[in-house]
Amino acid sequence: MLAKFFETLYHKAFVNIVVEGGQTSIYMELCSKTKVVESTQATFETDKVNSELIEFINSYIRETPYFYISVLDMAKDQGVIPTCEKNRLSYYYDLSSSEHKCSDKKWTYYTSKPEIYEIEKVYKEIGVDFIFSPFTLLSNFFKDKISSTLAMYIILQRGYISIAIFDSSELLYGDHLDMEHDASEDILISDDLDDDIELDLEDGIDLEDIDVDSDDMELIDDFGDIEDLDSIEEIDEFSEHKDVEEEFYETEEVIAESDEDSFNEDYQRFSLIQSSIGRYYKDIKYKSSFIENVYIGDGVGVSSDMKRYLEEEMFLNVYIRHLNLAEEVCELAKMEFN
Amino acid sequence: MLNSYIKPRKKSAITQEIQLMFTFFSITILMLFITFVFLAFKDYTFAADSRDIHNERVSIEKNLQVMKSDISYIEKQKQFSQTIYTKNSVLKDSISNLFDLVPQRITLSEAKLLENGLILYGITPNKDVYNFMLQAPLRSIFHRTYSSFYPAENGWYRFVSTNYTDKEEELDIEN
Repeated sequence: MLAKFFETLYHKAFVNIVVEGGQTSIYMELCSKTKVVESTQATFETDKVNSELIEFINSYIRETPYFYISVLDMAKDQGVIPTCEKNRLSYYYDLSSSEHKCSDKKWTYYTSKPEIYEIEKVYKEIGVDFIFSPFTLLSNFFKDKISSTLAMYIILQRGYISIAIFDSSELLYGDHLDMEHDASEDILISDDLDDDIELDLEDGIDLEDIDVDSDDMELIDDFGDIEDLDSIEEIDEFSEHKDVEEEFYETEEVIAESDEDSFNEDYQRFSLIQSSIGRYYKDIKYKSSFIENVYIGDGVGVSSDMKRYLEEEMFLNVYIRHLNLAEEVCELAKMEFN
Repeated sequence: MLNSYIKPRKKSAITQEIQLMFTFFSITILMLFITFVFLAFKDYTFAADSRDIHNERVSIEKNLQVMKSDISYIEKQKQFSQTIYTKNSVLKDSISNLFDLVPQRITLSEAKLLENGLILYGITPNKDVYNFMLQAPLRSIFHRTYSSFYPAENGWYRFVSTNYTDKEEELDIEN
């Protein structure tokens, strides 16, 4: 009773922390009972909790004892399972060392317990009140689409990609991809390939034996025009989608043009998404349905290449929404009190 | 804990400093309250005692009045008794004097003491003895004296002497 009375006297402060790609984004919101009184966002070039970061957070939470610190879980070993039945969970994933929660009595999201302990240890100076899975963030961000359509939903973060396929609120498949981990795996694979080539070289390959026809060379030259063709197709497809999903497009932001760095990253993202979709179609554990639409929550500022790859290579209709991860984490934190 | 993996920490507006302050205030208020209750109790008991004492005083005053009236009654009684005693003494002396007055030759058979008079019945050998030896002193005492004689069988006389004292004359004498 007394606590409720005190709670009405103070504002609630939501501190939302997202650590991605060596950066820490902090979004703070000071809320009264009905409206947002103040909000601010800052990015620190560190993934550790240093004095500058603590000072920044303390400057806001000093005003009220009712502050809640939320962290977006960036654990590698996390994911989703398309059931809440306890006896079927182990069929999809061994949850013995994982913390898991059921969402809407339809699907389960999990993360590794050591990672949660690690987050609590890292933020012990300021404390942590909520740890959210990117999948709950995804389902909340696309809640208007998830309930009605069969589509793939993707949250793009710096270094991570969270993928979920929903058919009318029913989860079919989910995957959490670590770009750095997969990149290093790729390097290892490519090293192996180099070894193989060396072995082949030891066997002796004479380059002169390779016969290259002049027709083939012409074909290779024509590859340079593929990009132009792709761009023509993209324009056609884009116009078609606009007719169908015009309302959705109106909410989207203009996608940035690609530069060299983002091109590589986007291609890596595309590759990971492609391989994940491949796993979805192949793995008998999951109920396969043909995916036509992809909704992307863009938390990194993805280039147009990414969209183009998905549309051209996988024949998907791609819709991109801009996503501020820290703000969405704040929305989840607020939902905890509703 | 709707979506979060962990439960939020319990938040409270009451910090340790505020808790300490509340504790001090609570103790102070408690002490003040106890003092208030103590004083209120004392005030109540004092009022009750005062009321009792007042009632007692009223009752004692009543008793005092009764006792005063009793004392005045007793004093009156005492005065009355003294008066009676005095009167009795006077009467005794009067009777003693009366019997002293009666000479040896006259024999009294009955004496009636009235409020303002004396009636004597007796036998005298002759009228002269009576007149000289008894009537003379009686006349000096009483204002009015009446004597009646009846001859007895043995030649003596029975007499009845009625003597009265007038009040006014008595008062005049007192004045």
